[in-house]
Amino acid sequence: MSRGVEGEVRVFAEYERDFTEEADVVVVGSGPCGAVVAHELTAKGKRVVLLEEGPPFTPQEFELDGALSMSRTMREAGLRTTRGTIIPTMQAIALGGGSLVNSAICVRPPDFVFEGWEEHCEIEGTRRSDLDPHFDAVEAFLGIAPTPDDVQGQRNLLFRDGCNALGIESEPIARNVRGCRGSGECFTGCRARAKQSMDISYVPAAIKAGARVLTSVQVQEVLTDGRRATGVRGQVVEPFSGRRSHRFRIDAKAVVLAAGCMATPILLQKSGNLANGSGQVGRNLQFHPGLAVLGVFPDEVDPGFGATQGYQSLAFLREGYKLETLWAPAGILAVRFPGFGHDLKKRFAEVPYAANWDAIATCHRSLGTVRPRRGASLDPILTWHFDAEDAQVLGGALYQIARIFFAAGATTILPGVHGVADEMRSLEEADVLRTRRFAPSDFVTASNHAFCTTRMHGDPAKGVVDPLGRAHDMDGLFLVDTGIFPRCTSVNPMFTGMALAHRSAEALADQL
Amino acid sequence: MPSAWGLVAGLLTASLLGWAVWRVFGGYPQAKEPSLALTARELAFLVAVADATYPEGGPVPPSGTQAGIPAWADRYVASVPRTVGILMRLLFFLMEHATLFFAAPGRGGRRRFSSLSSEQQGAVLEDWRTSSWFPRRLVFSSLRAILTMGFFSDPVVLRALHLAAKQIESPVVEADLLYPAIGAHRSTIAYGPEDLVAPSGIPLAADAPLHPDHAEPTQ
Ligand SMILES: Cc1cc2nc3c(=O)[nH]c(=O)nc-3n(C[C@H](O)[C@H](O)[C@H](O)COP(=O)(O)OP(=O)(O)OC[C@H]3O[C@@H](n4cnc5c(N)ncnc54)[C@H](O)[C@@H]3O)c2cc1C
Ligand code: SF4
Repeated sequence: MSRGVEGEVRVFAEYERDFTEEADVVVVGSGPCGAVVAHELTAKGKRVVLLEEGPPFTPQEFELDGALSMSRTMREAGLRTTRGTIIPTMQAIALGGGSLVNSAICVRPPDFVFEGWEEHCEIEGTRRSDLDPHFDAVEAFLGIAPTPDDVQGQRNLLFRDGCNALGIESEPIARNVRGCRGSGECFTGCRARAKQSMDISYVPAAIKAGARVLTSVQVQEVLTDGRRATGVRGQVVEPFSGRRSHRFRIDAKAVVLAAGCMATPILLQKSGNLANGSGQVGRNLQFHPGLAVLGVFPDEVDPGFGATQGYQSLAFLREGYKLETLWAPAGILAVRFPGFGHDLKKRFAEVPYAANWDAIATCHRSLGTVRPRRGASLDPILTWHFDAEDAQVLGGALYQIARIFFAAGATTILPGVHGVADEMRSLEEADVLRTRRFAPSDFVTASNHAFCTTRMHGDPAKGVVDPLGRAHDMDGLFLVDTGIFPRCTSVNPMFTGMALAHRSAEALADQL
Repeated sequence: MPSAWGLVAGLLTASLLGWAVWRVFGGYPQAKEPSLALTARELAFLVAVADATYPEGGPVPPSGTQAGIPAWADRYVASVPRTVGILMRLLFFLMEHATLFFAAPGRGGRRRFSSLSSEQQGAVLEDWRTSSWFPRRLVFSSLRAILTMGFFSDPVVLRALHLAAKQIESPVVEADLLYPAIGAHRSTIAYGPEDLVAPSGIPLAADAPLHPDHAEPTQ
């Protein structure tokens, strides 16, 4: 048995035997939420061990090919889907979690979102004004700022122009980025080292402050003594193959689960159905389904240049959707082009003239579950049902995107929806998007924003944690990932997750 | 002694079985190069479906096979978890043999996909693409997704569409003093504090040199 040294990172090649360590707090998961907690607690003088199943990636290891990149950085090679209504959803497996591959979009939800949370889940003290100090702290740390014009690129600026022409409010997206070069590669990893993903921001800062960061370790069980969480145990796993080897145990005064809204409920369920007096662990799964429309312009747009997602409109949040610009590896975006053969190639020839804009819809009525598989696998079984009313909202959102495209000068749009024309050349043709009654199966949506599987609730009989992330049913157990959201944030969730985690860290530090 | 009917039924079953075995296993060309995950039969299907989906010529000239889709798919299947790989291979199998139930138009429309004429292959793909039955559309889009991702892995395609990645010198940041290459020991980290550089923030120029993997090969 070995004992760790304070303030260091450990990687796969360095594990030679089983080990046991001790800490004040063990944090499971180095995504945006876990990384914030690990840093804040370490900065307050607590002895923290941060455990991450994935490896740290260096820029030399970023794979430019979208699909091959996904099979290295994402769980189930990025091909995870739900049963019921099929929706693909990606969760990262890497130091930094989703922040390594995400577009760095940071949005504070407006007041009405939090009011809805308080009402829906009978909680208090979680208004926007309560969270603003925590948003501020994270914003300052990560240098979150609006995307400057010089790295927007045409595909982002055209969105602004279309919105301006229609009098729709829009804004440059604020991102956790310093020194962006507009490579549009956030999805495969930022070679310019500009994106302040957790592996290059909060995690190094936590290490500097004294945290021990163990990578390539998979937590398999939360340990308890009566009502109290006392630590975790698991095994070292080889990067990419997932082969398990040495065993470890971390004993701690408090356990923080930040494994993400799909993995945290699995860990609780696999640890003897912990913290589940309410029966809500693994229930209420909500997504924020997105759909992209492609618009073709008469002049070259050069979509390869520009911040991955640089512009957005929050004007329709109350109607249930957000609009934003979008870029991803071309092979992944091209999957949405209709047809095949020479027709499809002709469409590909339009790519240099094209921009992709997407809508993400707040789908409160569409719910699902996260359940464990039999055996040793920690991959979840996901179910989800796309409610017909929620689906209808997406039709309206697509119509707004069509309006913005045509106002910006697009000559053609490809809505990518079943049951309507593959191509539309005027707003009149696009009117069908507004008027048609769509079935959920008409849309092939995707969502990487997922939440609510261990939701907070004022009533312990109806939720898993309180607003500070403290488990209702256990002592010394905190949950801090997006699973604790009472409902969808209506905007991209990472920033809210980090602000809540920042608040939880303060509460936990006071308690220890 | 079996009855005459029994004999006929037995013969029929045997020939059906023989035909089924031949349909699934027989008459495929040998693989030219060793593969990572796929069999010669699966690669033969991928050659056929890649070229049916991406025929040679047009504004983005390479065909599916010229763009290296079969080899890319082999690499991709080898890189995904085993269960996902099995699903992908089932998808290839399904499309190769589904003509038994959803025949292509014309003579011999029930032959396996890779043995059909290119017109028939096109008709089969169109039938799946526009099916009113969602699962068939989903099968088509899943297959086409794999082919498309493979098509776009080809630097020739990327250059033709002005989408080749630019070369970027990654600045050394504090994290680079902490993490070695995946699989390596930290003692292999080559950087020290003196190497630290702030990210430049200079927008990439349209005529910046391309990433070596995407650049035109030099003679
Ligand atoms: C491609 C993509 C783009 C996105 N873009 C944006 C965006 O621009 N803005 C935004 O707000 N949101 C975006 N999101 C969503 C956002 O990234 C997530 O909401 C966010 O990462 C959630 O943070 P988290 O800490 O809850 O979980 P995660 O980021 O999922 O982190 C959980 C971590 O726990 C680790 N882990 C899991 N199980 C175990 C275990 N058993 N043992 C040890 N470690 C474990 C995981 O490997 C992972 O690193 C995007 C997501 C994706 C995939
Ligand atoms: S757009 Fe490119 S340079 Fe900018 S943060 Fe994303 S990956 Fe980095």
